[in-house]
Amino acid sequence: MRDSRPSSHEGPENLVLRLVAQLSRHVLWDSLLICVPPAAAMMYVVVVLFRFAWLTQLAALLTAVFVLALFAITVFLRRHPLIPTIRGTARLVDERSGARDHFLTLATIDPANQPASFLMRLRQQTAVFLERVELKRDFPYRFKRSAYWSLALSLAAAILIHALVPMAYSARHSANPQERLRDIAQKMAAKPHLRPIAKELEALATKLDDPKISPDEKRSLAQKIEQKIEEQSKKEEQKDDRNMLGDASSALSGVEKQQQLSSGQDQQKQQQKGGGGIQSNVPQDGQGENKQSQGGSGESKGESSAQLGQEKMDQGKSAQPNPKEQGQDKNQGGDAKNNQNQPDPNQPSKDPSKEKTGKTEGGSKDGAGKQQASAEPPPQGGPPADRFYKSGEGKEGLGPKGYVTVQLPEDIVADTKGEGRPTKESKNNRARTQIPVSNVPLPAHVPNAPTEKQQVPIEYRGILR
Amino acid sequence: MSLEQFQQTFKRLEAEVQKVIVGHDDVIRKILIAFFAGGHVLLEGVPGLGKTLLVKSLSQAFGMSFKRIQFTPDLMPSDIVGTEVLSENSGRREFQFKRGPIFAHVVLADEINRATPKTQSAVLEAMEEKQVTVFGESHILESPFIVLATQNPIELEGTYPLPEAQLDRFFFKLLVAPPAPAELKEILKRTTGTVTGEVSKVLPEDSGQLVGEMQKLLRQVMIAPPIEDYVVRLVHATQSDGANGGRSSVKQYVRFGASPRGAQAIILGAKGNALAENRVHVSYEDVERIVYPALRHRIILNFQAEAENITTDQVIGEVLKHVPKN
Repeated sequence: MRDSRPSSHEGPENLVLRLVAQLSRHVLWDSLLICVPPAAAMMYVVVVLFRFAWLTQLAALLTAVFVLALFAITVFLRRHPLIPTIRGTARLVDERSGARDHFLTLATIDPANQPASFLMRLRQQTAVFLERVELKRDFPYRFKRSAYWSLALSLAAAILIHALVPMAYSARHSANPQERLRDIAQKMAAKPHLRPIAKELEALATKLDDPKISPDEKRSLAQKIEQKIEEQSKKEEQKDDRNMLGDASSALSGVEKQQQLSSGQDQQKQQQKGGGGIQSNVPQDGQGENKQSQGGSGESKGESSAQLGQEKMDQGKSAQPNPKEQGQDKNQGGDAKNNQNQPDPNQPSKDPSKEKTGKTEGGSKDGAGKQQASAEPPPQGGPPADRFYKSGEGKEGLGPKGYVTVQLPEDIVADTKGEGRPTKESKNNRARTQIPVSNVPLPAHVPNAPTEKQQVPIEYRGILR
Repeated sequence: MSLEQFQQTFKRLEAEVQKVIVGHDDVIRKILIAFFAGGHVLLEGVPGLGKTLLVKSLSQAFGMSFKRIQFTPDLMPSDIVGTEVLSENSGRREFQFKRGPIFAHVVLADEINRATPKTQSAVLEAMEEKQVTVFGESHILESPFIVLATQNPIELEGTYPLPEAQLDRFFFKLLVAPPAPAELKEILKRTTGTVTGEVSKVLPEDSGQLVGEMQKLLRQVMIAPPIEDYVVRLVHATQSDGANGGRSSVKQYVRFGASPRGAQAIILGAKGNALAENRVHVSYEDVERIVYPALRHRIILNFQAEAENITTDQVIGEVLKHVPKN
């Protein structure tokens, strides 16, 4: 009987099968919508890491393949248990249509083992319910909340990576330009025509690590390679290669700057070792050495001194530095010419070795309060108010240059007045004198210049008012 | 036997019994289902609810032989199954088998729990085997054969509760509830007036073959594999050591769960219910309707359940609530 009217009786089973297919597609969509955003985010991470040379090409490729495999497995594992069964789907149809397990029975029984009359009757009964079900209307696809969550979290993760990786990259490379050079060299090595430059960059990175090679030499090497890179860059047609060469060039510029800085520091050290002493005509502990700066221009030294002073201020040190620093600052900040033009007649000249020793000794003994001070006369030419600004201050506020005020020991003061070596008595009897000394070049002294009214120092203005 | 004939006969039987019995429609239907499923029914209810009348009415509607056995403590097995008696036939003495009341199509075992276990077992053997053995000779019982036993749940003094193994042989255990006020009014109207209802005979004289066909038809009703699985899960869940028996109520109160006979009864009863509702397939609803009478007497509760007045119906309700359909 079943075979006699096959077309009219296949409806209910077909409906269930069609619904199974539709729900399977829904499950697939669900799985994809949940899994695609994290997979895309992971792929983006791989791309970002590759772009910033955290991953090599091979590693990036392998990671991408791994991510894709993971994605496929996750989709499969998530979808597989959720694929609707015929039983479950038939029950859904029964619930929706109000049928009392007609669809379930029809979809799950073995027709061969059932009496034909019963089967026919069941189909007839089920067909009545068939009209009550419309697949698109009754079983529409709805976005799951998990899909929204997945999208939002993946997006957040991608944004986070997008922000963090460049920061981490710049932090890493600013700390170590050699690493950056090596990374660029590694990238360049992948391109045959850039391999020579890559090798040179690699060699440069190795040399940068070598402390025996002087900074100047390193800088010159970097300059040479930079020139080559510029030449190569002009020849390049591909944008990527040009970008890569641009990166290398900027990295080399950074190296040059770094080496220049370290070269300056070395010179300074050498100056300090060689002749950069306290610029003072005041004898140190009676040695009467006249220490003058040697080597280097007075300007550059002044700059570095100013930098140091600024650094000290930044570090929260008092505006009144320790005596040793004062001596150095004074010495370095002073104009060499000026120093030469104003020799201290009281101090016998010494050979350079003595000077060096004297500086060292003086430095070591500074802690005891025996200071060297410049024998310059107190500044008189400039407006007096200027001298009462704090270190680094000017009329306009904090200035680029500063000066320090030191309180000289009385014996030194006595020496400056030509009293010679002080005795114990004279020490006790002498009144303490505070001589402001500045490293700021003072205007020329005009003897008959009209005296101007001295302003109240800034720090006392509030109190006096 | 066609489907329509079955349903027509079934409906007529129901209608005829309902002429006399007010209310208890569910009990009537389930007795008929048990009859066409080839099972026996234990009716439990307080005296005076019309149990005996119900059984009598059914037998009248069936048009079959009916015997009633009032079970008492001094009732002997031979009083039920029959015995060999010495008789003289044309001058020749010989033992002749005298058939007991068990040899009838419909047997009412009234207050079955008042007889001794020995007598009870004689009846229950007949129920299961559909034959009796007396002095080494087996005697086949009538076909169709149905035992409708009754028992009183309140007067337990001087009774012998049926052993679990024997209870298992009843297809259904039906609880006969007191009538609702409207039903009681109708009962009074029917029984205290001059006109009383008469049950007409529905089945023909040689109804044995017809009932056999109806029983065969009932077994042809289709049941989906998921529903069979559900029945299996349900029965398994009633067992305290079963996979789903981990349910606290089952573990706490059940001493013995339902047997495979319980599962058979559920499925056959569900099939009968489906046919009665003009369907050719079993639904989950059929199972849920049948599971109570089919398992009620097959689940043996422990002492704690008795102490806490927990009934088997409550346990079955918990099982139904927790066993998933898919």
